[in-house]
Amino acid sequence: MASNEKNPMTNFNLYKYYISFNHDVQLSYKGPIDEHILSVISKYIEVILRKNPIASRKIFKIFIELAQNISYYSAEKNILTNDKEIGSGTIVLGELDEFYTFTTGNMVRDKDIIPIIEKCEYINSLDRDALRKYKREQRKKPSGPKGGAHIGLIQVALTSANPLDVEITSIDDEFSFFSIAVKVLKEI
Amino acid sequence: MKNIYIKGSHGAHFTPTVNFNYETGICELKGESYLEDTIKFYYPLMEWIKNYIKTIKKELVLNVKLTYFNTSSSKCIIDILNILKAYEQNEGKVVINWYYNDKDEEYEDELEEIEDFMIETGLNINNVPYN
Repeated sequence: MASNEKNPMTNFNLYKYYISFNHDVQLSYKGPIDEHILSVISKYIEVILRKNPIASRKIFKIFIELAQNISYYSAEKNILTNDKEIGSGTIVLGELDEFYTFTTGNMVRDKDIIPIIEKCEYINSLDRDALRKYKREQRKKPSGPKGGAHIGLIQVALTSANPLDVEITSIDDEFSFFSIAVKVLKEI
Repeated sequence: MKNIYIKGSHGAHFTPTVNFNYETGICELKGESYLEDTIKFYYPLMEWIKNYIKTIKKELVLNVKLTYFNTSSSKCIIDILNILKAYEQNEGKVVINWYYNDKDEEYEDELEEIEDFMIETGLNINNVPYN
């Protein structure tokens, strides 16, 4: 492309995108989340966090559950090979002085928002013992069409030992963007 | 009846190593469990145990040494434990040993998981440290 030609995505400036991440961001991804992406990101988590093996394992566990939620429940789907629909979303691993943050986001249909928010608020209202009891109760229930994904969020809260930080941004009449962030303390 | 042996793998998904032996009555499940289709993987294991209970009718020892399992896998593990609980209630002899790495600084979380499996199924699970 000649240098005086503009990027066809006229509203998109890659440099602005790049600097919108500060140096706290260790890893970010946007796109379809299939098993290959899961496998590659798992490996990177292990490499990036090798000095913090406990945090590394916790973030790995959190990542698997949240990524699985995206691939099943994201309202944005991509069709890759085998005509299989794959959910799309975004993943960010951040590092601050005392803890790591792990955030995932994806589009959801507006009608699905209230149950998710209620579920997260309920999880955040429970102490550890109550959360374990809630997990046991939920695990007893028959699996949904996607397996036991409903206990994924409970497990994320138990693993991180911190509240789920949930944010909803309305996009239009049909869709919103749902993000969930969790903290994992570093080992001292 | 046939024995089951599945060699574990660690790729895009993680398959646990399975070693179910009807002659010794020892069933081993070890490694990591995070599968593309969890139910498809665990269903034959459940059927095998039901078959063992029905035809062999001897003691069954389940040795679990899983370093990682996702929540979908934990649901299938509960299903297996519930089959064993029913066997025990029908005078069957069941021993469950759950191995955990006590050098692993995260072992408290693991002990919590084992305790949750016990509360949920009413089975006794022996916590066996290893490293």
